[in-house]
Amino acid sequence: MTRAQKLNVVGFAALIVLLFAFPYLGTSGYQVSLASTVLIAAILAATVNFLAGDGGMGSLGHGAIAAAAAYGAGWSSLQGHSITMQVVVAMGTGIVVTLAYGLLSMRTNGIYFLMVTLAVGMVIYGLAYRLSSVTRGENGITGIQRPEMLAEPWAFYLFVVASFLVVTLVLLVVSRSPFGAGLRGVRDSESRMRSLGYYVPAFKLVAFMISGTIASYAGLLSVWHTHFVSPSSAEVHRSVLLFVMVILGGLGTTLGPLVGATIVVLVENVVSNSMERWPTLLGVIFVLAILFARAGLVGSTAKLVRRMRQRRAGAGPDDAAELTDVPPTSGTTTSVRP
Amino acid sequence: MKSTTTSAHRRLGALMSLGAAAALVLAACAPASSSDPTTPASDPTTSDAAPSDDANGETPAGEGGTLKVGYISPITGNFAIAGQEMVDGWNLFWEINGSEAGGVTVETIVEDDAGNPELSLTKARKLVESDGVDVVVGPLLANTALATAAYTSSVGVPNLHPVAAADDLTQREANDLTLRTGSMSGSQMNYPGGVWAAEEGHKTAVTLCPDYAFGWESCAGFKQGFEQNGGEVVSQIWYPNGTSDFATYVSQIQAANADIAFVVTAGGAPGPDFLRSFMGLGLTDSQDLVMNCCGMDQATLRALGDEVLGFKSISYWAEGRQSPVVEEFNNAYAERYEGKIPSANVAGGYMTASLVAKVLEENGLVTGEDLVAAIGDASFEDSVLGKVSWDEYNNTVGSVYIREVQERDGKLYNVPIREFNDVDQWLGLDPDEAMARETYSQSFQG
Amino acid sequence: MFEPVFLAQQALNGLSFGALLFLLASGLTLVFGLQRIVNLAHGAFYMLGGYIGIIIATMTGNLLLAAIVSMIAVGVTALVVELGLLRFVRGQEMPEVLLTIGVMFVVADLCLAFFGGDPKTLPAQASIQGAFQLGGLTYPWYRLFVIAVAVAVGIALALIQSKTRVGAVVRAGVDDREIISAMGVNISWVFTGMFVVGAALAALGGTIGSGVLSIRPGIQNDVLLYALVVIIIGGLGSIKGAAVGAVLIGVIDAFAKAWIPEFAYFTIFAPMALVLVFRPTGLFGRTA
Repeated sequence: MTRAQKLNVVGFAALIVLLFAFPYLGTSGYQVSLASTVLIAAILAATVNFLAGDGGMGSLGHGAIAAAAAYGAGWSSLQGHSITMQVVVAMGTGIVVTLAYGLLSMRTNGIYFLMVTLAVGMVIYGLAYRLSSVTRGENGITGIQRPEMLAEPWAFYLFVVASFLVVTLVLLVVSRSPFGAGLRGVRDSESRMRSLGYYVPAFKLVAFMISGTIASYAGLLSVWHTHFVSPSSAEVHRSVLLFVMVILGGLGTTLGPLVGATIVVLVENVVSNSMERWPTLLGVIFVLAILFARAGLVGSTAKLVRRMRQRRAGAGPDDAAELTDVPPTSGTTTSVRP
Repeated sequence: MKSTTTSAHRRLGALMSLGAAAALVLAACAPASSSDPTTPASDPTTSDAAPSDDANGETPAGEGGTLKVGYISPITGNFAIAGQEMVDGWNLFWEINGSEAGGVTVETIVEDDAGNPELSLTKARKLVESDGVDVVVGPLLANTALATAAYTSSVGVPNLHPVAAADDLTQREANDLTLRTGSMSGSQMNYPGGVWAAEEGHKTAVTLCPDYAFGWESCAGFKQGFEQNGGEVVSQIWYPNGTSDFATYVSQIQAANADIAFVVTAGGAPGPDFLRSFMGLGLTDSQDLVMNCCGMDQATLRALGDEVLGFKSISYWAEGRQSPVVEEFNNAYAERYEGKIPSANVAGGYMTASLVAKVLEENGLVTGEDLVAAIGDASFEDSVLGKVSWDEYNNTVGSVYIREVQERDGKLYNVPIREFNDVDQWLGLDPDEAMARETYSQSFQG
Repeated sequence: MFEPVFLAQQALNGLSFGALLFLLASGLTLVFGLQRIVNLAHGAFYMLGGYIGIIIATMTGNLLLAAIVSMIAVGVTALVVELGLLRFVRGQEMPEVLLTIGVMFVVADLCLAFFGGDPKTLPAQASIQGAFQLGGLTYPWYRLFVIAVAVAVGIALALIQSKTRVGAVVRAGVDDREIISAMGVNISWVFTGMFVVGAALAALGGTIGSGVLSIRPGIQNDVLLYALVVIIIGGLGSIKGAAVGAVLIGVIDAFAKAWIPEFAYFTIFAPMALVLVFRPTGLFGRTA
C-alpha cells in the first residue's frame, strides 16, 4: 500500500508542478487562457462534486450561482467601485443567492432537490435577462477589469491554479472533517441521522453554503477571465455541463472535476473547430461514461489499476479490507423510494 | 438521490488526500514565493509577447500577401440557422469571385461559438493568438458581438460585424477597430418605418417588442420616426425573451385599437409564432401591421408560406428589389442552396465580403487600423443592400426599405414598396446629442 | 383591459396554453409516478415528435395521421433508449436521470442536423382554419381544438388508470413493486411500456403544439422547463396534479401578461416558489 501511496503523492506533486509550469512550456497565450477556462470550470465542478458526492445533493443551479456573483462584479464595476468593493459585491451577491437556494432546497432531497435547484437557476437566468437596469439584459456587461497585479494572462493563470489548489484542499478538509462525515450520514440515510438527533436541514444548508460560496468565487474568477458577463452564463445548459464534468471525471473523486472539466472544455473549444456535430459527441461521451465508467474516468481508472495490482499480487491483506468496503454498486437503490 | 461512489475509495482516498494535502499546502505557498520574485515575471513576458508578435509579423507573405480572416458564428445550438447563413453569405461571395482581390488572397478560418459569449471569446483568442488572423468577422448575436469587440479592440485587431444590431457597437462603445458592415443598428433600421407609417396617414400606433436592448432600440427608432411626423404611439407592449405563445399579446394589440401595429422580433421562431396567433384571431384584414426586419425574414416566409402574402415589414435588406446586384446574388445563392432565397443574415455575410474585396482591390493588403480607415472611405453606389457608405463611428449609412411579401415564380419575396436613402444612425439628432441621452429602455424611448 | 370580450379572450388564451402544458406534462409525470425518474429527454422527444408530425402533415395534409406516425416514431425511439440504455441502470436514480440528459443532447443536436434550424409550424392545410365567432368574441378554432385534445387525453388517462387491468398493474407498481412482481407481473416490461407511452404523449404534444408554437432548436429546453414547473406544482407523478398545475399556470400567465406585464416572466415561477415553500411535494404529490 505504501507504494501506491507514494505513487499518489508523486502523481499529485507532478500535477501541481505541471500546472504551475504550464505557461513556461512555450505555450501560446491562447493555450494559457484555455487552461484558465479549464481550471475555473474545474473549481465550479468541484463544488458540484462536493455537494453531490458527500451530500448526495445533485444541483443544477451552480452555474447560476456563479453567474450571480459575476453579475455582482459587473454591476459594481459599472458603478465605478474599486476592485475590493467589486469583490465584496460579487461575493455578497453570490452568497445571498446561495442562501436563497439553500433555504428553498434544504427540506427536499433526491430528485426534488434537483428540480428546485433547476427552477431557481431558471429564475436567476430570467432575472439576468429581465432586470436590464442592473444587468443590461441580453447584451450583458462588458469591460469588467481584474486587479492590476493579475492583469497579465500568465499571472492570472497562476492565480487560478493557486485558487484551484486551495479550493481542492478546502473541500478535502471539509469532507474529512466530522461535518463531512455527518454530511455523508445524511446522504446515506436521512432518517438515521434524524433519529440520532441531528437536524438534517441544517447540515444541508451549511453544505450548500460552503459549496455556493466557492461557486461564487469561481464566478468572480470567470468574470475576471473574460471581462464579461451575460445571461448565457446563467443558462441551465451551463449547470448541466457542470454535472456532466463531475460524472465524466468521477463523482466524489478529488481529481474528477479537473479531468471532467478538461474533457468538456476541450470538446467545446477545440474539438468544435474541426467537428460540426460536437454537441452529439459530448452527449455520446456522457452516455458512454454513465454506462461503462460509472465511477467516472478517475474512479474507473483507479478501480482498474487496483484490479490489475490485485491480479498481480494475489489477494493481499489490504485487498481483503477493500472488498468488505465495496458496497453493492449495481444495487445502490435509492432511499427516496417509498 | 444516492451517489454511486464506492466507499472503497475512502481508505485509499484518505491516504491519497493526506499526501495531496501536504503537497497542496506546499503548493499554496510555493507560487507566492516563486511568482513574486522577478524570475518568472521576466520569463513569461517573452513567452507572452511571442504570440502577439506572430500575429503582426506573419502577414507579409507571397506577392500581394494573404489576408487571414477569422470568422466566428454560431453553427450549432439555438441560433445555428442564422449563424450558418451568415457564413454561407461570406463564402458565397468568394466562391463566385474567387478568393483573391487586388492580388491579395483571402483565407478564412470559420469557428463555431454556439451563441455563447464565453466561447466567442475563446475562439477570438484562438484566432488572434494561435492562427494570427488579421481581422475577425462576426459573431452574430449582440452579446457575443460586444464581448468579442471588447477583446479584439484591446489587441488591435479589426472586428467586422455582418449582422449584429446592438446600437452601442457603433455608438457608446464604438472604437477605431470595430465596424458594422452588413446591417444597421436597431433604432436606425426602424426609424424610417415610423416615418412611413405616419406619412401613410396612420394617427395612432401600438408597438410590441421584445423586452431587451434590441427590442427597446427597435421600438425607440419606430416611435421617434412616427411621433416626429405627427403620429402617436398609444401603447407599448413588451414581451419577455423566450415567449412562444403570443396569443395574450395579440389580444392586447386588438384591445389597444390603434391604426397600425408595429411588431419586432429578433428572428427565428417568434416571427411565425406571433403571426400564427395574429392570423388565428382573425386580425389579418382588420388590423394594419408592420413588422421589423427579422420578424418577416425568409425564415418566417418559409415557415408560413402563402399565408403571409401582402404582409409588410421594414428592413435594410429587400430580396425582391429589382437590381442586377441583388439578382446575381439571389441566383447564385439559390443555385447552391436548394433554391432558397437569401435572408438578411446571408446578405450581411455577402455584403461584408464585397466590402473586404473592394477595399483590397483599391488599397492592396491593408490590416489593422488601415483596414478600418479604408473601409471608412469605401462606398457602394449599388450593393446587395443598395447605396451604402460608412460614417465616422464605423456604422453603415444606407437604404431602408418598406417591404411587402409578394409571390414571384412560385417563391415569396419581400419586395420594396418604398425606399429611404442615406439613413444614418442618429435619427435626426447630432451624434454627441444622441449619445448623451440615456440608453433606450422600457421607460426611455427617445 | 377589463372589457368582457378581452377577459373572455384571455381566459381562452390561458386555457388553451394550459391545455398544451398538460399535454407536455402528462407524459413526464406518468413516467415519474411509476419509475421515479425525471426524463429530462422529454423536451427532446417533444421536439422530435413535432418535427416528424410537421413533415407527415405537410406530405399528407392529415393531422390525425401526422399525430399517429409521430407518436409511433418517437415511441420506437423511446423504446430503443429504454432497452438500449436505461435498462442497464434501472433502479439507480442518478444515472437514470443523467442518461436522459445525454439522450437530450444527442436527440436535439441530431434534430438540428436533420431538420435544419428553421422554425417549423404545422402547415395550414393540416391545421384547423378559421375562427369561432360569438358576439364580439373571435377565437381560433385550432386553439379550441387543443383544449379538446387535452381534455380527451386527460379523461382517457384517468379512465385507463382507474378502470383497466393495465391501470391496476401500474397503480400497484407505483405502490409496491416487489409485491407486484411477486404476483407474476413482469414489472420490467411495465416500466418499458410506460416510458414509451410517456414519450408518445410528448410526441402528440409536439405535433398538436406545432400549430401554436413553432418547433425550433432550443424548444426542448423551454418545453422541459414548462413541464417541470407544472409537475412541481401539481405534484410529481399525479395526473390530476398535472391538469390542475397546467391550467393554473396557463391562466395566471395569460392574465399576468396583460395586467402586470413587468412581472410576466415570474408569473410562472411565483406559484412554483410558493408551492415549494408551503408544500414541497406539490399540490397532489405524495410525500416521499
